[in-house]
Amino acid sequence: MQGHAQQQTFKRNGHINYFLRCLRALPTAAQSSDSNRITAAFFCISALDLIGVLELKTTAEQRAGWIEWIWSLQALSNNQRPKIAAFIQLEYLYKSNGLIVVHHQNDATSPAHIPSTYTALLTLAILRAPLDKLNIPGLTSFLKSCQAKDGSFSPTPGDDHVYPNEGFQSDVRMVYCASVISHIIRDFSGMNVNATERFLERCKTWEGGYASRPGVIEAQGGTTYCSLATLSIFDRLQNSSTSSNMTLRWLVARQIGGFQGRPGKLEDVCYSFWCGGAISLLDHGALINKRADRSFLLSAQFPIGGFGKEPEDYPDPFHSYLALAALSLTHSADDDVGLGLKPLDVRWNVSVETAEWLRAEIARIK
Amino acid sequence: MRCLADSKPQSSASTSHIPLAQRDQWSDVKPIAQDDGPNPVVPIMYSEEYRDAMDYFRAVAASEERSERALDLTETIIRMNPAHYTVWQYRMATLLALKKDLEEELQLMNEFAIQNLKSYQVWHHRLLLLTHISPEDPQFEIEYIHQSLLPDPKNYHTWAYLHWLYSHFYTLDRISDKQWADELRWCEEMLRVDGRNNSAWGWRWYLRVARPGADTGKDALKIELEYALRAVHHIPHNVSAWNYLRGLLRHFKLPLSPLLPAILPYTARPSTQLPGVPDDFDFPLPTSPLPKDTPLPIPLALEYLAEVLLEENQASEAGQVFGELSTDYDRMRAGYWEFRRRECVEE
Repeated sequence: MQGHAQQQTFKRNGHINYFLRCLRALPTAAQSSDSNRITAAFFCISALDLIGVLELKTTAEQRAGWIEWIWSLQALSNNQRPKIAAFIQLEYLYKSNGLIVVHHQNDATSPAHIPSTYTALLTLAILRAPLDKLNIPGLTSFLKSCQAKDGSFSPTPGDDHVYPNEGFQSDVRMVYCASVISHIIRDFSGMNVNATERFLERCKTWEGGYASRPGVIEAQGGTTYCSLATLSIFDRLQNSSTSSNMTLRWLVARQIGGFQGRPGKLEDVCYSFWCGGAISLLDHGALINKRADRSFLLSAQFPIGGFGKEPEDYPDPFHSYLALAALSLTHSADDDVGLGLKPLDVRWNVSVETAEWLRAEIARIK
Repeated sequence: MRCLADSKPQSSASTSHIPLAQRDQWSDVKPIAQDDGPNPVVPIMYSEEYRDAMDYFRAVAASEERSERALDLTETIIRMNPAHYTVWQYRMATLLALKKDLEEELQLMNEFAIQNLKSYQVWHHRLLLLTHISPEDPQFEIEYIHQSLLPDPKNYHTWAYLHWLYSHFYTLDRISDKQWADELRWCEEMLRVDGRNNSAWGWRWYLRVARPGADTGKDALKIELEYALRAVHHIPHNVSAWNYLRGLLRHFKLPLSPLLPAILPYTARPSTQLPGVPDDFDFPLPTSPLPKDTPLPIPLALEYLAEVLLEENQASEAGQVFGELSTDYDRMRAGYWEFRRRECVEE
């Protein structure tokens, strides 16, 4: 594989065109991403930011239009107290008497959504949208309505009867998104941080990594990244060094060229980011075998741009973006092959430049 | 619902699709089209059937209609997009509002799960159904999950659900001793079929160590250590078995050195450097000769040896072993082993 991959060059133009194509239209096969479109948009727009061509390859008018589209997704629920503001899915947006309105559901079917809110916030920042319209108290109320007693978060506000906050989907992915939202707005009043930290502690497995929920039987690369990033945001990562040593051991053992998500599984492009990012969060990014990782990632490039999950696979925005994020992690400080990617803020998963802008913008509006 | 459950697969359905507007059943509903505005980002080229169903779903949800036809509509949509969490949520609320037979819904989910093993929503829906049905004995569900692991024995969602099933019904006091014992036997069979199935190792950890009521006394612990060692001897490069062994020692705060005699043969040290096996050593030893296709040394064994040396305050010897891992035996992680070596030298 090494020999094969050495011939691979970074298809920079191919990737730019791939993401521009996706922004214009996704195929019918992407229908299953319908309820996560804002997240697909984030992958494409953040990718162009990392490659450094967002302003060059898109027009100011396009970007203004996208900003407008994202703001139209900021829901403001009227029938809930306290008022909730978060970013919603599209199907609740429709035209009535010529005006675009957002339909407000009751608690049981409220469409506001934690991952969509996380990616909407970052996308607005990448597009440098002034955030004066951001409803911060509404966001913290929203997070509160999603937190379960065990410290986890459900993707949408729960209720006691139909869709309780505790459940299969209330896992470390949601915890991560909720924590980044709080971190971005510099307001943790929407979450009980201690309960969340205890929740994460209980997600740790016999192997040293983190599972999706307490007691779930095995660690996984993505859930380990989400857990470590959250602890890093809480500034509680270095507290237990023996324990983080075991996590580091588990993470570096996942590299088999690229990275696998669990022992005994195949390499998958996204784990170069999840595992590589988690290793970087532990301040040990230098321990990643950068060459082997790069060889695998480049071998998963699709001939006309984008990255598949593994070589020969069709590309999708998720794997394509995470491949770039992974390459940025290992190649922005020491870019020995000239990829030209911007450095990545590994906790928020967006370019450092954008993260800095976002911090300044939140300071301005607060 | 029954007739829909029996309907044709999606591909043929899409060619014979009759728009909802042409069906009498929907004549009173005014569909609401999606409004993407003038500047949509990542618009999806929806199939006609999906767009049509979603237009009616928007109308149904706007009026909060709880009806049979709303249920049918949600089923149509999740067959095309099983990740549509809002539609799933609407379906659950409607099932409860109409006081539908949830066991019938569970039957439908049996079919769904097979096609959509990786959809979070399918499993979440199932979990809610089981919570509402709350059977006195969840045995039928345990058997169903065992079956659904056969085609995909490492599916993360399925294992997570099995864990939920046992912990939920244990708190309701509905898991018998026999069920726990049977589950352990089933898990051992999974590991016998594939000793490298990390999920099955994790399940064993739950059954033997982590579950409420697990016996973690001295004798039980010895059985576990022996089980892990035998697995290492059976497949010496099996990462999961090594991790399980290391996990046990760490969890119960036991030193690594007492088990070293069972591990030394895998380090391929010159026999002159090897201490003999103590007379009172009563843990399983490697087979002699070792299983075929066992390239030596095994990096995991060298790591174990180095950790033992650290435990015994022989840091420079440990550093040497880490150095060998870095330069010769595990080049993929050369940087990590070099980092471990330097830690030894600097201390």
